[in-house]
Amino acid sequence: MKGTRSVVTPASMAEAVAAVEEGATPLAGATWILRSPIRDEKLAGSYVAVSGLAELRAIETGDREIAIGAAVTHASLCAALNGSADCAALVQAAGAAANPAIRNVATIGGNLCAFSFAASDLAPALIALDAQAEIYGVSGPERKPIETFLAARAHLARGWLLTRLLVPRNGRISAHARLPLRKAGDYPVAIVSVSAKRSSDRTLRSVRIAVGSVEPVARRWPALERALEGRSLDPEEAAEAARERVGDFQGRDGVEAPGWYRMQVLPKLVRAAMCGVLAQA
Amino acid sequence: MSISLTINGETHATNRDPLTPLVDVLRDDLALTGAKAVCREGFCGACTVLMDGQPVVSCLLPIASAAGRDIRTVEALSDGGELSPLQKALEQHDVVQCGMCFPGMTVALTSFLASNPNPTREQVKQSLVGNICRCTGYERIIDAVLAHAQAMQGGG
Repeated sequence: MKGTRSVVTPASMAEAVAAVEEGATPLAGATWILRSPIRDEKLAGSYVAVSGLAELRAIETGDREIAIGAAVTHASLCAALNGSADCAALVQAAGAAANPAIRNVATIGGNLCAFSFAASDLAPALIALDAQAEIYGVSGPERKPIETFLAARAHLARGWLLTRLLVPRNGRISAHARLPLRKAGDYPVAIVSVSAKRSSDRTLRSVRIAVGSVEPVARRWPALERALEGRSLDPEEAAEAARERVGDFQGRDGVEAPGWYRMQVLPKLVRAAMCGVLAQA
Repeated sequence: MSISLTINGETHATNRDPLTPLVDVLRDDLALTGAKAVCREGFCGACTVLMDGQPVVSCLLPIASAAGRDIRTVEALSDGGELSPLQKALEQHDVVQCGMCFPGMTVALTSFLASNPNPTREQVKQSLVGNICRCTGYERIIDAVLAHAQAMQGGG
């Protein structure tokens, strides 16, 4: 097949944004886009390859937040932030997703911009960490809470580019738990990410619990957060509280698991994530 | 638009669609058939090649993204017809099976051992998470890799 499709390589962020405004689709690791035909989705006519932009490949650790470029790969994120107390759940999520060869090319931004991909590990981890998404459009950079971005991304007006993810450095401890049907290497049927502020008496403060892969878009579990707020950090109690509230979700049916199963495993995942938090407390 | 690829040290120009998976150019245009297009979803690892020394699945790598990068296929692991030490070890331990998954496994393990010369059994398993063997022979392959690593460390 001759090359009728165009892939533009921008020299700057401004050029990348201009290309997107003109209708080009951002291309990063391409592991999702190249599977478009499998999903009966057409490939676009023009793409802008954003992975080469230095701004999008950088990870900057400041006093108040960690800024992660959207074109950072899963493997690069793990290498750069392994051991970072502020990003434990995110590092666990990035390091467990897919397999090593995919993690070497698949990017953080590409993962979050794959609208129809419900089993993203990064999405619940970033929600639990209270991260923000920075998008760049005609009016310049704009920040949105990650959960707001995830819910709105498919409906945003044309001409925006996800540029960075901002993780606050606010003393949260966090953990990520997932259930793939194989031990590793495939999509998780359900995911739970948890974070909480450190407290001297081992109680949960400002707890954030996010659930991924159960519904089409990852989201917080507000009722469980309220139930656990101020309680001692006990994984068994947290699992029991989760069991009483799994009806808060409407599990999606899929070829790998029915919806009811995704909901049924949530208490176990809450327990596992809480054990991870406990280990750091 | 012509795209320039560097495959096993040689430069090749192609006018293919820039989103053509690299594995198709390797196999159809360059007769480098070691990489196998099996699942085309990034799950099986049979098409694994090295890009700047790191394993990637060539079924999900558009040639536009491979331009300007150093691509090495399983055909480049041997030197002038001489198998690499890892390849020799796999042959000597009689763990080469049907050959569908094995080029990808060998490529992935080559990169893994370069950065982890003295791995644990669990680390070897983790490195092969993306390489599926339908002959179910993982354990003996891992035995061979560990024996090879030990020998390279002077312990075997």
